[in-house]
Amino acid sequence: MKRRNHSITIRLTLLFAAISTAVLLTLGLFVGHAVEQHFVEQDMELMTGKLQLVGRLLEKVRTSADLDLLPTLLEDALVGHHGLELLVRGPDDTTLFATHHAGFPSDFLERSAIQNPPQIQVWQESGTHGPQPRRGIAAVLSTGISELPPLVVAVAVDIAFHEHFMASFRQTLWLFVAIAAALAGVLGWVAVRHGLAPLQTIRQGAASVTASRLDYRLAVDSVPVELAELAETLNDMLCRLEDSFKRLKDFSSDLAHELRTPISNLMTETHVALSKARTADEYRDVLASNAEEYERLARMIGDMLFLAQADNGLIVPNREPVDLAAEVRQLFDFFDALAEEKAICFSLQGSGQISGDKLMLRRALANLVSNAIRHTPPGGSICVRIEGDGSGARLAVENSGEPIPPEHLTRIFDRFYRADPSRHSSGEGAGLGLAITRSIIRAHGGDISAKSGDGGVCFELHIA
Amino acid sequence: MKILVVEDEPKTGDYLKQGLTEAGFVVDLARDGLDGLHLGETGEYDLAILDVMLPKLDGWRIFEGLRRAGREMPVLFLSARDQVEDRVKGLELGADDYLVKPFAFAELLARVRTLLRRGSRSKEAEHLHAADLELDLLRRRVTRGGHRIDLTAKEFALLELLLRRRGEVLPRSLIASQIWDMNFDSDTNVIDVAIRRLRAKVDDSFEPKLIRTVRGMGYVLEDSAE
Repeated sequence: MKRRNHSITIRLTLLFAAISTAVLLTLGLFVGHAVEQHFVEQDMELMTGKLQLVGRLLEKVRTSADLDLLPTLLEDALVGHHGLELLVRGPDDTTLFATHHAGFPSDFLERSAIQNPPQIQVWQESGTHGPQPRRGIAAVLSTGISELPPLVVAVAVDIAFHEHFMASFRQTLWLFVAIAAALAGVLGWVAVRHGLAPLQTIRQGAASVTASRLDYRLAVDSVPVELAELAETLNDMLCRLEDSFKRLKDFSSDLAHELRTPISNLMTETHVALSKARTADEYRDVLASNAEEYERLARMIGDMLFLAQADNGLIVPNREPVDLAAEVRQLFDFFDALAEEKAICFSLQGSGQISGDKLMLRRALANLVSNAIRHTPPGGSICVRIEGDGSGARLAVENSGEPIPPEHLTRIFDRFYRADPSRHSSGEGAGLGLAITRSIIRAHGGDISAKSGDGGVCFELHIA
Repeated sequence: MKILVVEDEPKTGDYLKQGLTEAGFVVDLARDGLDGLHLGETGEYDLAILDVMLPKLDGWRIFEGLRRAGREMPVLFLSARDQVEDRVKGLELGADDYLVKPFAFAELLARVRTLLRRGSRSKEAEHLHAADLELDLLRRRVTRGGHRIDLTAKEFALLELLLRRRGEVLPRSLIASQIWDMNFDSDTNVIDVAIRRLRAKVDDSFEPKLIRTVRGMGYVLEDSAE
């Protein structure tokens, strides 16, 4: 079973939603991180400030009396700072000062673990209302008393409020991202639908093309630049189709006409012959005349079959080396009697060898020579010029006589085409000879063209 | 001479039988491939004419069957399909000749006679003659009633062909193919002109007239007095 591809709309919508989600998510994570960082910096600033304050106070401690006064000084320094805890430890790990809720993990206060500059730490402290998240730093500060070892000072802030804020911030952010992604999807769908509208127009236009309406063309100017090329390609295709179709139509009507004339002759002749009793000689005459007509019909059908096969690429030349000059001489020999009757003089110039089907090429050239004889006035001349070029050759058949008007030159190779319509009934050929010649030349990978000047007509072919 | 015709189209079959019988042959007609092969295997024929498209067994298969049975008579194929592969197949199989329908009966008759002659070519005659016309093949001279007639090489060849096959109607296509090697149907009247010129030299000032036009068929050389 054939797998049907997803629609562009669905694919683009999903892609759009995915991209928006990814971008918003990254942005959200970044903003969250920045806010948290900001809180940390804020806390850090506050705590280092306090540490410095404590440090200055300690520096002023010169005597043990000053040391006793320290708690009062610290108490004063901390007024108004709700949620800030401070702990000062003496040299023998006795607590010199501690705020009411001051609680620190014991390893945090380990003298040896304290680094400079101070490292921030976060922990949970069990409080009256359940665990309280805290952020704190510790430092070792010396006093003004030189014999007294430095003291351990630790500061901590309650960050429950920040944590709470961050949690609700994240929740809002995720909700917003989800809504924005959904919205982006919907808007994307609308945008894609809108963006693809010109495709729909093209589709509808193409759908309205039928055999009888092949003249329809897509308006290239009204489609977006990206689609203009597609529209032009489609238009070109329509042009080619219309042209082929027209040729086909012409061809079948020509065919019907070409068949009707001889068949109508045959019918009339036979009916007249049968209308009364006649002598054997008269019957023989009718039959002989019919036989001639039948032969012409059979030849025409054979030619048409050949052309149909050529159109379908079924004519495959059986390649062998062909000496063109020898072929032309043989054709001159064949047509000699005919030419002599019309006092036409043949001439051949040059030579060339190609690889091709001898039988087919002989037929192609015979058609050209026969055509030339037909159109050369008595006393005229036919000249064949051959120019070999590498593996291929050019061959021109030139005859003196009436020039062919330019409008006929392009169509002269079409089936049943006759430059002179009055020649229609003279019984000379069915107008397929040149079409066959061209088919044969093309089957050999070459081409043929017709030129016409003042003094006559020239058919020139080239086979590589 | 006995000919086997295998043709399923009733009218074509009947006319082939009638035409060939009237031309002096003994004809057996089979309407389908199996009958045809059976007749060919059991009877003695000098020639077989086989249609390619046949019910039960096609022409190619009959041909193969005949050759397998050791029947070596020449075979002429009739084909309605002028297709390249048919042609190639025909030649590869070693068919002796073939004709594409529609064909002229005179053409068929001429080909049949050529095929029948092929096997039994008697000693080449050095002289050919009809009435008082004489053709000396060795010296390439033509005389009529003792008068020397000058002919071109092609005219000589044409007269030789007509004389060799005197009494046979030769279609234009056969003449074009035998004398000029033009193996395609051409709608020109080249042959008519050539014959007219030959007649002017051979017949015009002599009696009886030997070369006769058979309307709708071709040309024949015969001595009406014989």
